[in-house]
Amino acid sequence: MLKKVLVIVLCLAMVIGVFAGCKKDEGSDVIKIGVAAPITDKWAEYGKGFEVATQMAADKINAAGGVNGKTIELVVMDSKGDPKEATEIARKFVENEDIIAVVGDFSSTCCMATAPIYTEAKMTQLSPTASHPDYAGMSEFMFGVMGRQDGEAPFFAEFLAGKYMGAEKMAIIYLNNDWGVSAYTNMVKGAQAVGLEITAEENFVDGEKDFTATLTKIRQTNPDTIALIMFYNEVSIISKQIAAMGWDDVKVCTLGPGTSDQIIELGGADVEGLVTSTPFMVTPDDTRAWDFKTEFESKAGFTLNVHSACAYDALTMIAKAIENLGDNAARETIAGELASMKDFVGITGPIVFTADGDVFRKYKIAAIEDGTWVQKTDYSFGE
Amino acid sequence: MYILEQLINGICQGSIYALMAIGYAVIYGVVGLVTFTYGEIIMMGSFSAFYYFILFGDNLFFALIAGFITAAAVGIIVHKVCYEKFLDAPRYISLISTIGMSMFLKNFATIIFGSEMKGMPTFFSGKFILLGDIRVSYMQLLIIGVVIVLSILLTIYLKKTRMGMKLRAVSQDKKAAALVGINVKTTTLIGNCIGCGLGGIAGILLGVYYNSVLPTMGGMAGLKAFSSMVLGGLGSISGAAIGGVLIGVVENLGIALTSSGLRDVFAFLLLVLVLVVRPRGLFGKKGN
Repeated sequence: MLKKVLVIVLCLAMVIGVFAGCKKDEGSDVIKIGVAAPITDKWAEYGKGFEVATQMAADKINAAGGVNGKTIELVVMDSKGDPKEATEIARKFVENEDIIAVVGDFSSTCCMATAPIYTEAKMTQLSPTASHPDYAGMSEFMFGVMGRQDGEAPFFAEFLAGKYMGAEKMAIIYLNNDWGVSAYTNMVKGAQAVGLEITAEENFVDGEKDFTATLTKIRQTNPDTIALIMFYNEVSIISKQIAAMGWDDVKVCTLGPGTSDQIIELGGADVEGLVTSTPFMVTPDDTRAWDFKTEFESKAGFTLNVHSACAYDALTMIAKAIENLGDNAARETIAGELASMKDFVGITGPIVFTADGDVFRKYKIAAIEDGTWVQKTDYSFGE
Repeated sequence: MYILEQLINGICQGSIYALMAIGYAVIYGVVGLVTFTYGEIIMMGSFSAFYYFILFGDNLFFALIAGFITAAAVGIIVHKVCYEKFLDAPRYISLISTIGMSMFLKNFATIIFGSEMKGMPTFFSGKFILLGDIRVSYMQLLIIGVVIVLSILLTIYLKKTRMGMKLRAVSQDKKAAALVGINVKTTTLIGNCIGCGLGGIAGILLGVYYNSVLPTMGGMAGLKAFSSMVLGGLGSISGAAIGGVLIGVVENLGIALTSSGLRDVFAFLLLVLVLVVRPRGLFGKKGN
């Protein structure tokens, strides 16, 4: 008898279980947007910036009454900068029917790894930072707001290294991943166009710590400038190792980390004078951006970088697209609306997508002076 | 000149590998098992120095002692959890325990210390001596010096002291050692602690040389230590040291000729080639 009751109860439980996921909340007043970012591990500064900036954007929109009367809720997940984790997250986001669009990921590699999954689900992925020239063109649902490496790297070679730093012989060290290789090839093209001699080209695999052999090798070629295509950890390590070698007649510039605080934190006195290019740097006379910077820094606990500002714009853009669509807002329609949006002005300036789904930007030059990033030239320098 | 300079880079990096490998060989000798927690012990040593520098200022000598003690303390935990209960059990049980312990320590460190890379203070920045045209930095001299001194101390300890004799006896034959009245459990524990402590010091040297500590730094370090030991011959302490230096030199000369992206290719290619030609390692005894 007891057994029979147990069997019936278990059967009922199974049947109920089958229907449990089917209840659709028609009158839901929440819009869920996924955020995938490297919140821990090697790129944590950028990932945390994503988390704080997107939450700020969501809070601001919700405080102003939300989107079409609905509030925005973020589903934040940590990809650790690992394409394997990123694809796991993409599958989770795709399976969760409530999630309507995704902001993320940080690296081009992660974004390109997840692109097929999102595309199949017709889900829009708007990356604040992926800048590989092939990424946004992968499908109509892929977008990037950072600008492309075939825009930034040639600027870097011609104007930053050539015109600003006066480099004549340059050595390049680059991170061997999708982004690094594309930035490097575009930088070499830019250098050739203006007759800047490249004395050495060295790459390394993510996670490398010992650059003494590479630097000893590069030193043999007598460059007057070294260009580092990588992120903050390696930039600070290389700067320190250059100093430890007693190599003081070389200038260092870097493409990639932007005006990152971690460089100064880790590199200390050895990164003094480091030069970088950035599509975004706040000056006090731009009040909207300056207010954003102040609020971001009080919430995040570190200085605003371009990546976080782009994350803020990315989420605001998606919200705007949903608002424009009104009742038609759904996974499939957001991409089309983003592509046709012409009047969006974010913290980082006006954003209008190209046919591929990315943006062409202008760049500023910044340098570290007395332990802080200082803007050295405005957008007009590259004209 | 250029190749000589790269050779010095290689010897310097190789001596850190050598120190790690020596510690590994001591552990392998007394415990009789391969451990997968070693990389995390190296990381713990490195972090202890990082916090030592913050709390007590930039004194490298005392930081090395602090690292030795911390790593040895972690070694006691590893010994209690992974080895002691399983001394008579099949070997794979201890092996799997060390894998679990390694994951635990890595994630524990990520939670407690944070996942970002942390910077180490710089010691004698930019100072170097000139030998002819070759630049050797003070840091490189210091690292090579520390490793040589520690190797000599360890040799004296193993060859000349009573405890060292016990350690050697246990690593040769546990049962026979027990029969002549050696407390095998305590001796294994002490051997394990010494090995871990050496690993901790190697971790600090790694951290200071590259100016960085990271909770995930142990993976590659442990693998290089293991490779160096296997290359030199399992259980042979001097072999492990030579294996470490050899891997360091080959890596750096490889980078000098090709690119730094191929660093690990050279290290492991050397290992595979040596093992194909001489399966017991360069200095391993037959039947070991």
